[in-house]
Amino acid sequence: MTESTNPRLSDGTLLSDLINLETREVKMRTLSDPELYELEMERIFAKTWVFLGHETEIPNKGDFVVRDMGSDSVLMARGSDDNIYVSLNVCPHRGMKISTHDVGNTPVHVCIYHGWAFKPNGDFIGAPVDKECMHGNLLTKEQLGLKKARVAIYGGLVFATWNIDGPSFDDFLGDAKWYFDTLWCRTNKGMEVLGPPQRFTIRANWKTACEQSASDGFHVLTLHRWLSEVGPYRKPGSEGGGGDLTPEMYGSEVYTAHAHTMRCIELDRKIRRLTGKEPSELSVKEKLEALPPPGITPAMLPEMMERFSEDQLKLMTWRPPQVGNFFPNGLFEFVYIPTPDGVIGVMALHAYVPKGPDKLEFVNWILAEKDTPPELKAQMLRLGVQLLGTSGMVEQDDSDTWPHQTLAAKGAVSKNITLKYQAMYENAKPEGWPGPGDVGDGFTKDDTQWRWWQYWHELMTAKN
Amino acid sequence: MLQELLEPTPLPPSVRKNRIAIGSEAYNEVLNFLYDEAEMLDNLRLGEWAELLTKDLEYNAPLRHTRSTAHFAQTYSRNVQHLHENYGSMMMRVKRITDTKSAWGEDPPSRVKRMVSNVRVYTTDKPNELKVDSYLLVTRSRFDFDYFDLIPCERHDILRREGDSLMLARREILLDQVVIGTPNLGIIL
Ligand code: FES
Ligand SMILES: [Fe+2]
Repeated sequence: MTESTNPRLSDGTLLSDLINLETREVKMRTLSDPELYELEMERIFAKTWVFLGHETEIPNKGDFVVRDMGSDSVLMARGSDDNIYVSLNVCPHRGMKISTHDVGNTPVHVCIYHGWAFKPNGDFIGAPVDKECMHGNLLTKEQLGLKKARVAIYGGLVFATWNIDGPSFDDFLGDAKWYFDTLWCRTNKGMEVLGPPQRFTIRANWKTACEQSASDGFHVLTLHRWLSEVGPYRKPGSEGGGGDLTPEMYGSEVYTAHAHTMRCIELDRKIRRLTGKEPSELSVKEKLEALPPPGITPAMLPEMMERFSEDQLKLMTWRPPQVGNFFPNGLFEFVYIPTPDGVIGVMALHAYVPKGPDKLEFVNWILAEKDTPPELKAQMLRLGVQLLGTSGMVEQDDSDTWPHQTLAAKGAVSKNITLKYQAMYENAKPEGWPGPGDVGDGFTKDDTQWRWWQYWHELMTAKN
Repeated sequence: MLQELLEPTPLPPSVRKNRIAIGSEAYNEVLNFLYDEAEMLDNLRLGEWAELLTKDLEYNAPLRHTRSTAHFAQTYSRNVQHLHENYGSMMMRVKRITDTKSAWGEDPPSRVKRMVSNVRVYTTDKPNELKVDSYLLVTRSRFDFDYFDLIPCERHDILRREGDSLMLARREILLDQVVIGTPNLGIIL
């Protein structure tokens, strides 16, 4: 357990005054306060592991993309040794941005201000007018490289941290790894992005998006109600007809020590509809054949099944994680969408990048397994764009909600109103639950989001 | 292979010798089409607008990147795009707004002005199709916010004559911003 401090804001408010750990309430002020924002950048984004992108975005030596780790711009580049490096996108000479491009390929990054040059791995190569020793002789060339972050690649996802001697990435994932493996490590070849990410700006605090991404289930019923009115979850007859999405909200929710969460939604009804049989009478293999995970075809199943334990396969055919987050600012969606052509999977990843106390950048990647047939990839992508991201008919509604919360958080009175996370699971894991972590069973609750705030609190009060 | 499946059908080039004179009857007809379309969309007459779409509609908005001058032509991405629609998916977008009580991203609706300018019209290889290039500046006002979201873009359209009216058969929208400065593309461009 880390030793804790209790930061005091300039008006005397203690961090502990903003969150009530007993009654599970958080003051709205947290969603706009500039001082708190600065603390978050230092205590969360400069300390923990941050999701930056996917290795298939930079397949060749010298490829790079520019990304953000909290409020800092970083260069994510593939070096001449084929490894991926993440370095601060700031010239150590006088602080110019090293790369002003979003993407590209170059063996040498030359700062346009005075011409200092760096390798994709961040090493300093040299300064112009070498014989006059422009970079001086007080520091060695080794000391003049770009500041390098520590990198972890997991299932193709690129994470980095400035906490060079801090906890390992495995430690950070903790109990989530058992579940995440079933999402990101399903095939031998792995996944790929289907193109660069969509990006857009929302005038909202990053936490509005991120606490929601920690598996808020309730908002689906109201905010995304159109899904059952005219959208893919419209059902003829009684079941869920007339805009009721509650049948979709049963399952299990998983929350882990480091606030990675996921909503594991029941597949039984879909399997029953597809096969006409009782799921309990079907083997794991029969269930997978009837309803394979997003992007997996029946032909890809044998290889996939070999990669997992019986317990993991049980989860994948019963209640697979379909929506969830990685702390602090990542979200994933591995959803099964009913369409006239059958059930089609969509896979997307988001980063909600903080851009100030009331601004965030929404970054949306769409992915598929490398082995997924091209026709299916194209279908997955089109459905993904239609529902998620910039123009997505589902996420249009989310992105219009967050600015209002952020504005309300500035009101002299409303800043003291509390966000409430009091819908609690009163049961633990369902019988036969195969995986680790804290698990709630039944209708969606607030425990996953509450865990997000608990960990936020833990990091914000940790003593270095 | 995937690239081929995702890339929209390439648009015919805009060649000066195929230009239709500004002020000619055909040019004015196109201008009327664009102005009427803007009026319908600005006033939420989406059902009426949908009647102007051909069944083989392709409607796209590529992503862009900030890159060097030398790589200007490669600043577009047409695999993942901001909008990647066909007739069916476009009708779903329209239906979401017209047939539900829960299209919250545009309910209450934004006040929107679609300002169309710099219109150039070209003949194409197909006698019944015109290529139309235009600029579009969209101002979007949400709620009681005191600022406007600006969505400046360029449009490349194919208008097809069906009977005695023009129909929209293809549209590619080239947005100026790399990071779109409005919370969603919940409005039609
Ligand atoms: S600031 Fe980069 S070379 Fe001077
Ligand atoms: Fe949502």
